[in-house]
Amino acid sequence: MKLTLGSIIRRSLIHRRSRSLSALTAMTVSAGVATALLTLYASLDTKLHKEFRSFGANIVVTAPANTPNLAEQVKKAAGPEALTAPFAYAVATTDRGTPVVVAGVDFPAVRAIDSTWQADAWPTAPNAALVGQKAANFIADERTLALTFAGQKQTFASAGHLRTGGDEDSRIYISQADFAGWTHASPTVVEVQIPGGAPQVEAALGRLRAQLPGLEVEPVRQLVEGESRIVDKTHALMFGAVLLIALTVGVSVLATLSASVLERRRDFALMKALGGTQLQMMALFLLETVLLASAGVATGWLLGSAAAWAISETNFHTATLPRPQVLPLVLLLNLAIAAMAALLPARALSTLEPASLLKGE
Amino acid sequence: MAEVVTTSLNENQTRAECAVIALEHVSREYTGRGASVRALDDATFSIVAGEWVAITGPSGSGKSTLVNMLGCLDRPTAGTLKIDGADLAAMSPTELDRFRADKIGFIFQQFHLIPYLSALENVMLAQYFHSMTDEKEARASLERVGMGHRAQHLPSELSGGEQQRVCIARALINNPPILLADEPTGNLDQANQKIVANLLKDLHQTGHTIVMVTHDPEMAALAQRKIALSHGKVFCHPIGGPVVSLRR
Repeated sequence: MKLTLGSIIRRSLIHRRSRSLSALTAMTVSAGVATALLTLYASLDTKLHKEFRSFGANIVVTAPANTPNLAEQVKKAAGPEALTAPFAYAVATTDRGTPVVVAGVDFPAVRAIDSTWQADAWPTAPNAALVGQKAANFIADERTLALTFAGQKQTFASAGHLRTGGDEDSRIYISQADFAGWTHASPTVVEVQIPGGAPQVEAALGRLRAQLPGLEVEPVRQLVEGESRIVDKTHALMFGAVLLIALTVGVSVLATLSASVLERRRDFALMKALGGTQLQMMALFLLETVLLASAGVATGWLLGSAAAWAISETNFHTATLPRPQVLPLVLLLNLAIAAMAALLPARALSTLEPASLLKGE
Repeated sequence: MAEVVTTSLNENQTRAECAVIALEHVSREYTGRGASVRALDDATFSIVAGEWVAITGPSGSGKSTLVNMLGCLDRPTAGTLKIDGADLAAMSPTELDRFRADKIGFIFQQFHLIPYLSALENVMLAQYFHSMTDEKEARASLERVGMGHRAQHLPSELSGGEQQRVCIARALINNPPILLADEPTGNLDQANQKIVANLLKDLHQTGHTIVMVTHDPEMAALAQRKIALSHGKVFCHPIGGPVVSLRR
């Protein structure tokens, strides 16, 4: 049998299990919260941008009437990652004689960009229309939806109603092919959705303006700026939370470690009397602290990853997988907390007076 | 174990030549809050190898201060303290730690065994801080104090007398030339006092130098010489019998 530093530490930790457990709990909480926040932080941009994408386009390109190949030009300039949806507009008259805006769209493209649009059913067959819920009030018979444009009467069948809460509710949407065949007009507006945050949108704006000089290219300001602000604020909030938690845990670990040294002053004094050097005492105490911190990080990383997954699933409806690359950061953070918390007790160790302690004074 | 040779202090050897502990005008002054207290005042005496000395005196007389210095846990503020020929003042703290592990075996009144280590491991702890652990030697040391059968027990499972015997085994394990016993029977009942007293007698007979602080006149009577302390001053009783043991 050998008596080693490891076996002394192991016995000490087991013997003082309640103290060890409270230090381990503090370290686990710290590592768990740091893991959860850092994991969420790392995927926050992606998740928030994805959420913001559901609000629709972030750039709108407007062209003069009869601009040839507008949709293709915009798509090419916006880049392969961008989603585009061309819109062509005309004002027609309903069977009640009420003017109504009719839009010719590419339904799959619109569904991809404007995912907040709520439709009873999306048109798939030719001559089918999606009728805005307010526009439905201007129509006498939706089954044979008769619309007249420039003296050309065309009959459509309503596939369902559209609810967006915006101007779209007052319009009637038909497929681009039906629109072109009826009005002979081409798209004049293209909605563009650029993946990523404000920098990506700004870059795409520059590209579009450079490559399409005759067109009006405008960002959806409220969306882009709002997104940027929210992402920045969320980042700051998470940073603040990590710092606050680190500070709280640091104080708790400091209290635990101080108590741990205080209650073992005589053990350390004895070791010193037996010839233990200052370095050996420090090694014993600091190694014990590092062990607790490391065990806390391992447990905390698992719990934090699970918490991040649950939070992500609840709030963003997508799973956030554990990130091993967060582990070194969390380890570093916890070791820093442990090191700072261990400073005072370590200093107390260095000023131990074995003689008076062993005498019981 | 180092070889122990019993010999006589003959006419050709001076006390200084045989001194394992030598104090010359040693003082220890503590200062704080603008005041200073001289806990030990101009102490000069020597203890030769193999001698058993009892240090006596009332509380506050400077016994602890003297023992701290003899145990290399403190250093004089004035004078010269030599242990086994080495001047403590010339040593760095690390050298002093090393020196203490080599030269001094401590026996405490309150035993001071590490509660989470077995009797055997407590003995091995002294080996650990001295050089390297050797279970066989540690067991032999426990056997020597009659505790071989309790080697695997934790201190909480041992009686006071048994704990003190483990403490003695620990003090002996590195074969130090000096045993420093601070009230070794102060916490023991009569039966255990007798066991420990007999153990110390055996150790003295085999050549160990024992410096023992005690309030107990019976224990003090076992020593060859008394060093009495009063208000920091040392009063050495005359040297006792002519026979002392020298450890080589």
